[in-house]
Amino acid sequence: MTGELVEVTVDRPAAGTPAPAAKPPLWQRFLRGAPPYLYLTPAIVLLVVWTYRPLAQTFQLSFHSWNLLPTSPVTEVGFANYERLLDTPDLGAALWRTVVVILGMLPFTLVIPVLVGLLSRRVRGRVGAAYRAMVFAPMLVAPVAGAAVWQWLLDPTGGVVDKVIGSPINWLHEAGPAQIAIIVITGWHIVGFAVLVVSAGLTGINPDYSAAAEVDGASRAQVTRWITLPLLSPTMAFLVLMTVLLSAQWTFPLIDTLTQGGPVGATTNIYYLLWDYGFHSYDAGLGAAAGVLFFVGFVVLAAGLVLVSDRLSTHDD
Amino acid sequence: MTATIEPTVHEDQVVDHPAAADEPVGHRGRGVVGHVVLAVLSLACLFPIYWLYATSLRAPEDVYSLSVLPWPLSLDNYADAFAKTDMVRMLVNTTVVAVLTALGQLLTGLLAAYAFAAWRFRFQKLLYLMFVGTWLVPFQVTMLPNYVLLSQLSLLNTLAGVIVPTLCSALGVLLLRQHLMGFPKELLEAARMDGRSSWGILWTVVVPTLRPVLAALGILLVITAWNEYFWPAMVLQRSNGMVQLGLRSFMGTEGNDWGPLMAAAGLTCLPIFLLYLVLQRHIVNAFVRSGLK
Repeated sequence: MTGELVEVTVDRPAAGTPAPAAKPPLWQRFLRGAPPYLYLTPAIVLLVVWTYRPLAQTFQLSFHSWNLLPTSPVTEVGFANYERLLDTPDLGAALWRTVVVILGMLPFTLVIPVLVGLLSRRVRGRVGAAYRAMVFAPMLVAPVAGAAVWQWLLDPTGGVVDKVIGSPINWLHEAGPAQIAIIVITGWHIVGFAVLVVSAGLTGINPDYSAAAEVDGASRAQVTRWITLPLLSPTMAFLVLMTVLLSAQWTFPLIDTLTQGGPVGATTNIYYLLWDYGFHSYDAGLGAAAGVLFFVGFVVLAAGLVLVSDRLSTHDD
Repeated sequence: MTATIEPTVHEDQVVDHPAAADEPVGHRGRGVVGHVVLAVLSLACLFPIYWLYATSLRAPEDVYSLSVLPWPLSLDNYADAFAKTDMVRMLVNTTVVAVLTALGQLLTGLLAAYAFAAWRFRFQKLLYLMFVGTWLVPFQVTMLPNYVLLSQLSLLNTLAGVIVPTLCSALGVLLLRQHLMGFPKELLEAARMDGRSSWGILWTVVVPTLRPVLAALGILLVITAWNEYFWPAMVLQRSNGMVQLGLRSFMGTEGNDWGPLMAAAGLTCLPIFLLYLVLQRHIVNAFVRSGLK
């Protein structure tokens, strides 16, 4: 976007240098071209050292066997880690649980926000701002603090939730309820953010379209179905992409503090599995192989989603 | 019917919309529905936070009470939390980490964004994609090699080890670049004619104009750093150097001592909530804008 704006060029290292008529000597051209690279250096160095180097090393490590101890040898094992990974039932199960988490998150990141956004379009001004402030508050709660308060709310002996529904469900220690609890807590954290994104998206829609349709006799429902929702589709695509890519990440601190992946692995999703391989089983090669597979999978998934959403989205041009 | 001229949506009012003044009477009902829906959602979102502070303020013997208002108020749980954990040191450490991280991210982000916005250069696109690409690399994929590197640099168990690897925020770079792209070129050009160096222009022209954006982004980055859990947990190896980690070990050992646990959790969130109360509008807008890119 805004590609043509790049024309601004402060293309001289020290201003005041008169522009030479002939082709300047090599070192001068070099100096003149240097500034943008110099400004970029700190950020790029950090990216290379802390993101891309480790990514490459993870790739390399996935063909080796190592138990993380500096003294013990790193041996090359070819594709053995990948074979081991695909042989264990853990991976498939964790993948499936990740899918469940993503699907379970969609009501919080898409359905509720869109419904609330559509129904509350007319609530504006100070009152609207107050609502938004309240809805957004959970986003600011540190994940561990959120985990602590939900552990208390869900406690089978003294927690509010069980007292209100009147049956002592041990939420965090039974397989099904634990997964539901993790999804709901994550949803609670994120729903306010999604509501605000939708309301920003609705604000960006030019009201002339619906006004014109109403003049033509379209009902409110028709306007919503055929004008508002299609124009909101880029926002919705963004929310879906965010949910798919980040849901499992968001659940990680909750799983780590509340269930440690249990009971009997019921809340172990792929990220927790990666963590587990690396830092509980000390199986660096296996963890790296899993990491590489997930990275590739996510790149493919993200690219696919971007393509699909570009196809399906209606843009207001 | 409506011939309202739609003002271009300014980013500072992302969530506000000029009210349709000539709303037909039949649509009144929809306003009520909107209020009800928002009120219910707000209550659902706020209740856990309210209950956190309510429990923490009850007297220790009333912790299991279900009364909505905590009465009589008592600070015993807070005293207990301070006695059981080194809350003060953890809060200081976390503040140091959050502020230094945010400042570092602002600086690297500003320099990189300036390069992208003010010059055209070879590999620009590729370098730009390197920043975008970080979003596809999950933390868990890079954690092992980073952990090994930190231990080689003997930065494990130090606050520097928490800060240094996070000093470049791709989000910061992309947001600032977006803003710099909209920067009036005439200003840059004029400053250049005055004979100022690009470094001088950055600090005397760009930064002063960009101050509100830098402030909003800074707050966002402080909050993110404050709430970060993974990376400190790994670098500090589950010691209790920062509030999130201290809270976690508190949960493990004192799982059923709800009063002090809620007090500790309340203290963990308190600085962020205070910041939020003061700067509510700016924070919400900064978050939404970051989401929309």
